[in-house]
Amino acid sequence: MTRLASIIEDRDITYAALAGRARLQARTVRMLATGETPLDNVAVGTIRRIAAALAVPVAELLEDEPVYPGDDSLLRTERLSAAVRDVMWPRRVVRYPTPVETSGRDEIADLTPDEFFEHMPDIDARRG
Amino acid sequence: MPDAADVYRRVEESGALSSGDIAYLSLARTRAAGEGPPGEAFEPVGRIPAYPRPAVLALPHGREIAVDTMFALIVTHSCEIDRQKNRGVTADHDDCRLTVAPIVPEPAVTLVGPDGEVEKAVSWAAIERNEPVASLYLPPVDDLSEFAPGVGLPWPRAFADLRGLATVSRRLVETDRLCGLTPSYVGMLQRQLARFFTWRDLARHELVEAMVGRRIEAAVPLNTSQDRWRVALTTDDGSSLTVELRTQ
Repeated sequence: MTRLASIIEDRDITYAALAGRARLQARTVRMLATGETPLDNVAVGTIRRIAAALAVPVAELLEDEPVYPGDDSLLRTERLSAAVRDVMWPRRVVRYPTPVETSGRDEIADLTPDEFFEHMPDIDARRG
Repeated sequence: MPDAADVYRRVEESGALSSGDIAYLSLARTRAAGEGPPGEAFEPVGRIPAYPRPAVLALPHGREIAVDTMFALIVTHSCEIDRQKNRGVTADHDDCRLTVAPIVPEPAVTLVGPDGEVEKAVSWAAIERNEPVASLYLPPVDDLSEFAPGVGLPWPRAFADLRGLATVSRRLVETDRLCGLTPSYVGMLQRQLARFFTWRDLARHELVEAMVGRRIEAAVPLNTSQDRWRVALTTDDGSSLTVELRTQ
């Protein structure tokens, strides 16, 4: 859940009500609250309006800065731990298209890798 | 359904890179500004999803780069990685990239089907059995320190999404490797890669013409969709292609 969504829930207000106060479209507020549109991608003025409508500092709406790969201000294990927390257990959930096909399964799905590659010709190492 | 001990292995920070290694990476996608997943129709194999929270770098002429920072799985074959290494290439060599598949964790997503309906239970059951051609199941781990010393956190149920393959510099992979896959589960990765590329890669007409006169030695039905069958054909010279046949 985004910080904006958390505040909206705590205040028990609707997207439309907040949008009216901030002079924005309800859809804009909803997409920011659900995380479909990251706050990083909108004009600063939009964030200021929402913050003003909620009477909170702008900083209160911003998400924690994620740790980035290669950040050498952290030890490798610290960096990876922060990454697992941020990326594998995020506060925000998005809708994501399933990889599961709607049509019938192929027979290969039942084969083990050994069975699948059993009749595979050897790779020609000269091809480099 | 595989257990964590069957799937993951520890990798040393200075150890050689291998297919199946998992690393924390930033993956870039170039796209038209604001563009979502391509295509209007739902296609579980072909449609490339948008990942959570991309950073966006604007380009001129209405284009942008979306950067997804997430864990990803090396799918480049270990032989290819070794081949580059054995040729003495340096990190500055032109061909120093590796192909990786983004890892999608269960807590980050709600899986939805063709009509936008939530398919959580059905989808994850199939993913766990490695039934979809576009995913490789990655089981949960109670405590990652068993495979990644110093990272004492749980790892959720996840899958590597072959629809989002990207290339990255091998130097970046070396910097933030978490763990790897066991040799036996790399075999499962290779099976899934073979299925994925066979299923997706319908042959062009000239490839079909080039096979005229060859003897078909194997025909593997891959999938059906309404009135169509997809069949992988292998001929006596070892070449193969996938064709789509109408059943009516």
